[in-house]
Amino acid sequence: MTMTLASAGSIESAVAASAAGSGFWLTTLLGLVLLLGFVALWPMFAIWLERKVAADFQSRMGPMYCGGFHGWLQSLADGIKLAMKEDLIPRDSDRFLFWIAPAVAFFGVFAAFIALPIAEGWQIADVDLGLLFILAISSIGTLGIVMAGWSSNNKWSLYGAMREAAQLVSYEIPLSIALLSPLLVVGSLRLGDIVAFQSAADGKSLIYWSGNGWFALYSPWTLLAGVIYYISSLAECKRAPFDLPEAESELVAGFHTEYSGLRFSFFFLEEYAMMFIVSAIGVLVFLGGWQPLPWISIDFAALGFLGKLVCVGVVLFKAVFLVWVQIWLRWTLPRLRIDQVMVTGYKYLTPLSFLALVMTSLCVHCGDRVIPTLF
Amino acid sequence: MLTYARNIRDTVMTTLKGMQITLRNLRRPETTVQYPEEQCEIKPGYRGFHTLDQEICILCFQCAKICPVDCIEMAATRVEKKFLSWEQFTVDYNKCLFCDLCVEVCPVDCIHMDRKTGPSQYAVITDDRTTLNIDLLIYRGLSETGVKAVDKLRADKAAAAAKPAPAPAAPPSAPAAPRTTEGA
Repeated sequence: MTMTLASAGSIESAVAASAAGSGFWLTTLLGLVLLLGFVALWPMFAIWLERKVAADFQSRMGPMYCGGFHGWLQSLADGIKLAMKEDLIPRDSDRFLFWIAPAVAFFGVFAAFIALPIAEGWQIADVDLGLLFILAISSIGTLGIVMAGWSSNNKWSLYGAMREAAQLVSYEIPLSIALLSPLLVVGSLRLGDIVAFQSAADGKSLIYWSGNGWFALYSPWTLLAGVIYYISSLAECKRAPFDLPEAESELVAGFHTEYSGLRFSFFFLEEYAMMFIVSAIGVLVFLGGWQPLPWISIDFAALGFLGKLVCVGVVLFKAVFLVWVQIWLRWTLPRLRIDQVMVTGYKYLTPLSFLALVMTSLCVHCGDRVIPTLF
Repeated sequence: MLTYARNIRDTVMTTLKGMQITLRNLRRPETTVQYPEEQCEIKPGYRGFHTLDQEICILCFQCAKICPVDCIEMAATRVEKKFLSWEQFTVDYNKCLFCDLCVEVCPVDCIHMDRKTGPSQYAVITDDRTTLNIDLLIYRGLSETGVKAVDKLRADKAAAAAKPAPAPAAPPSAPAAPRTTEGA
């Protein structure tokens, strides 16, 4: 298994497909429309879920009134309220950056959905470097946040944005290194290949035993990598306990303090979309993607369209479960100070992720799984 | 090095312990009372707005006398020496201390401070926001049983008077002057 470094393969195939017929553009357009719908509706659902789950953890009910059944329309009402608010732009702000910052932050996350497969072959762009592409594109969001903090012409905003940028950039390291461990075992950056590896076996029947299993259960080193990935992804989403940028905005200020109405809602959309992206990556890489059970794998290719729908359901269910765990952690843990955030990122998570990487590479080299027998 | 390992262990164990605590809280039932569809249960001894059991009250004025701020006003007429024809029983909640003395002193246990409906236990809004005199009466005049009893009593008396008897017929008793709290 060799790593493919050139993404030209996918572009060639796209060009060939478009030369062959309009099927490629049609499916891409359909995928983009569905994606737009999903990215518009997911934050609504996620905000409602967060409020209800937070209420459950606090022995109270969340929204109960709006829309009848447990206030399911509450996020829509809040969205409409935000859209109707006055659009304030500070007087001495950098207008262009102020205007473009939420768009850049949102784009960074929105574009990452393009390479995300929710079933075998069901993605908008089958990028050979899927994982790398998603990590790289979602880092663009950091730029939008720094722009927001700078253009607000507000010391508190700038301070919050700088801390935010430091946190996000610092946690990219353990995030990426942790993702390298399963990558070494699979040998491909393509997300579809990573999921296929977790359900690989010789001889396919409908339901078969896959010796590989989910990466979270494959070896203790990949489990360690998974835990490090999850913690780093919390920091990437600015979720508790790493929500210092957000908390500042609840308490005093933060990078989006000068944003009101629809501009602010873009940052909110970006946060919840990011939560889904990192959870989906975690599901695909560490929790077996669209396979419902760890070692007992189902050959979905034989089940046709209905099988693909089941795949989508499984991925969504697992991703929402990981989001639920994120919410659970938010309402359990107190907030870390910025120096504690930095210490955790650089002094604890990065070395541990390197440990997982080294042990995994030794194991792969020796053909073992847990303890590399070098001798 | 040992501190490093200990830090990792502490972090992981305390995080898991915290998550266990919140998870336990997840299974507890919610404590929210969705007012106004639901109301909190009123425990005995709770001092809220008053309720009066008109049928039992004997118009002894003890509650009015003991009230430290004189906020109870009551007026009724005695009919046939036993039955009360109610006119007024108001509590001025601008003054009321919710001290529970009127409940303690009542000899027939007819006044309580456990109102659940109407002016709720939480808020009182009247149309005229300057006055908070709340009338506790449910009906004015005689109660239904009272009406029947008085009619029956008078019918009996009329029958007794109509009988040829050596004793002179007693004049039909006229309602006495209403007793009120003034001068009480």
